[in-house]
Amino acid sequence: MRRPLALAAWLGLIAAAVLVPPLLGDYGVAVALSLAMWVALAESWIVLSGMTGYVSLGHAVFYGLGAYVGVLLWNTVPSGFAIIAAGIASGGFAVIIGYPALRVRGPYFVMLTFGVAELVKYVVIDLEAGLGVFSRLILGGPSVIVLYYVMLCLAAAATAITFLVGRSRFGYALRAIRENEAAAETIGIAVGRFKLAAFALSAVIPGMVGAVAVARSTYFEPLSAFDPVVSFTMVTMAVIGGSDDLRGPLLGAAFLVGLSELLWANAPQIYMIILGVLLAIFVLFAPEGIAGRLFVPARRAVS
Amino acid sequence: MTLLAVQALSKFFGGLQALKDISFAARAGEILGIMGANGAGKTTLFSLIAGHERPSRGAIRFEGRRIDGMRPDRICRAGIVRTFQIVRPFSAMSVLDNVRTAALFGRRQERSHARATAQAREILAELGLADRAEDAAATLTLSAQKRLEIARALATAPKLILLDEVMAGLTATEINEFLAAIRRIKERRDLTILVVEHVMQALMQLSDRVVVLHHGELIAEGTPKAVAEDERVIAAYLGQPT
Amino acid sequence: MQILLSGQLLFAALVTGAVYVLVAFGLNLVYGTLRLLNVAHGEIVMVGAYTSFWLFTLAHISPLISLFAAIALAAALGAAIYLGLVRRLFASPRLLQRLEANSLLLFFAFSIVLQNVAALLFQPTPRAYQYLDRVIQLGNASVTENRLVILIVAVVLCIAIILFLRLHIYGLAIKALIQHREAASVVGIDVEKVQLLSFCLGFGLAALAGSLLSMTEQISPFMGFPYTIAAFVVVILGGLGNLVGGMVASLLLGVIETYGVAFTSSSLRSVLIYGIFILVLMIRPQGLLGSRMIVR
Repeated sequence: MRRPLALAAWLGLIAAAVLVPPLLGDYGVAVALSLAMWVALAESWIVLSGMTGYVSLGHAVFYGLGAYVGVLLWNTVPSGFAIIAAGIASGGFAVIIGYPALRVRGPYFVMLTFGVAELVKYVVIDLEAGLGVFSRLILGGPSVIVLYYVMLCLAAAATAITFLVGRSRFGYALRAIRENEAAAETIGIAVGRFKLAAFALSAVIPGMVGAVAVARSTYFEPLSAFDPVVSFTMVTMAVIGGSDDLRGPLLGAAFLVGLSELLWANAPQIYMIILGVLLAIFVLFAPEGIAGRLFVPARRAVS
Repeated sequence: MTLLAVQALSKFFGGLQALKDISFAARAGEILGIMGANGAGKTTLFSLIAGHERPSRGAIRFEGRRIDGMRPDRICRAGIVRTFQIVRPFSAMSVLDNVRTAALFGRRQERSHARATAQAREILAELGLADRAEDAAATLTLSAQKRLEIARALATAPKLILLDEVMAGLTATEINEFLAAIRRIKERRDLTILVVEHVMQALMQLSDRVVVLHHGELIAEGTPKAVAEDERVIAAYLGQPT
Repeated sequence: MQILLSGQLLFAALVTGAVYVLVAFGLNLVYGTLRLLNVAHGEIVMVGAYTSFWLFTLAHISPLISLFAAIALAAALGAAIYLGLVRRLFASPRLLQRLEANSLLLFFAFSIVLQNVAALLFQPTPRAYQYLDRVIQLGNASVTENRLVILIVAVVLCIAIILFLRLHIYGLAIKALIQHREAASVVGIDVEKVQLLSFCLGFGLAALAGSLLSMTEQISPFMGFPYTIAAFVVVILGGLGNLVGGMVASLLLGVIETYGVAFTSSSLRSVLIYGIFILVLMIRPQGLLGSRMIVR
């Protein structure tokens, strides 16, 4: 990242992102907001699953919780606080659930994350039904443009976090855990604590993203907020883009958002089928993702 | 001075008793060999000392403090590190990163990236791995991976190192190289070594003292020569004389 | 209280347990022999259900006959997946390193594809048909014939499977493979063939379950998920790879679910299943009946 070309590319990207609203109009902002959201989600996901190897197939639970907290608090506190509270709630939930969950290894952990996401979904559904509420609305929320810039900040923050973790001492510990957890423990890494930290860290931004997303859609409905498709899309973007490189989620999100713009309106099933096929292809033939293929020598930046 | 004291140590796995009432001590600065047939309990003993398992009974003291039941990472920070019988490199990481990670999280809990890197490079040079520093650990030969395992352990700045069958799978030449390397390593440091080894000759050549395990029991303790001539050891290894 | 003690509820619990036996067995088989968790298992059930549904709706073929077609279709699908995808995972050393994560992602992708292909080909609205829905009296319980058939088939299958594992050479090979992979190949078992067989058998049994289920449940492209989770709960409760343990656990789950829902309400069914799932995973991943396995 010390090369001037890379730096120029990053600055160009940031400039383009900032200039979307005046230059591209409503549709452009909508797409860019969606893109920023997925970048934020996928970057957060790889802090846990890319770096430690503990694959989470239920990350939508943090997104959904953030949306729930967001919609509950929206009219009672200033929106900024609602978003931050959503992040804290998600992070807190991650700590609570992570403590027992991360002691479980391999495939069990994956299924567990999925199970937790579904459990929370049904609990919220039952809770809302018990309260007699079927969906919640946000009235008088901020404009799309404001929300876009907030989401952009979240995307930038998530990318920055991944960057910093990647080159920090913390990152070394996470990678060691991924490569061989028992050996990592033997050389002095407190694996439990580090895994929990990564888990909590990977939950905070998705929580905040959820709150912003619910402000954007102006309604909250458990089935869509906790939709497994959200988890799946996050994972697919990271795997296709490359889960070992912070540029991976950027590429993956751009690719899949572009694809969905083409297909979602008319043939959502075809979009999902292509997603599934792409995921399978990348897992089998290009596990390092697009970023891994394109940027092989520069991989040292994160890995 | 006693560095490690094992007292009445027993370990049950369900109904199987892997270790029966083992007691011995390792003095600071010595190389203590642990001898025994397969299933004698050698690896179990290491697992207990390194914190991967808890003893069923008994105590383990390091520098006077009880360490039995402590987590492996805390034991490492106390100054004990082990190598694994089947090597466990961080395969996708570079050789340098393997060792650097150990320097960052070992006993010294190094915070400075630069200092950890310097320490790592020095150890790599000592073990003849300097030229492979940037290569992925997975690309190394078995002998080199075993050296990496030792290098990584050394980077944690241990006071006691548990070498678990490092010679397994090596050729005769490589074994001699390893013996020389271990002696060199020890000369440069304040280090105590516990060695489990199947290759009898290597064990006898390396160790200052030897303890012999058989079916989980300690049946002999002493200098290599004394142990080799011990009746019980001979009976255990060769059967009763006819 | 009377409801709780009734034969009606007991019968419902038994049928639910029977369904879980059929659904979970295939998953347990695949995990035991390959150490891979097929998260698309519920989708194979869905494929079986649709097969029987269409054969009944279009050609009036009884599901008791069309289930053979469903099994054949699923077994063929299993063979294709095993030979085309799974073998690649084992063949590449790099993929083998992160086998668990990779296989999960792969099967997850497979399940998404299956669901959406089904949604594309058939509409996403739930369907159902009537077959053998005459009510008969069994003691003080009123039961439908189709549910009774499911129960009978499950019992017969359990016995057949137990005998197969004990007596047939392939059954023994499967048991050997589950217990100790390396040793199995050392004693001359063709591991590749047995794995392929297990995979196809596992898929076939899932489709069988789906076929039978189509008589009593609503069918939709997304019906598979809950069965996948139920299968996992069973497999984990009974011990991964413990085929007989799975049968016991299925019954247990059927009982817990049926009586649990009767106690509380049907909307809590999902919460109950996922709750048990998470609890078991966290507290005792080796199952209530399984022995301690080194997970990593």
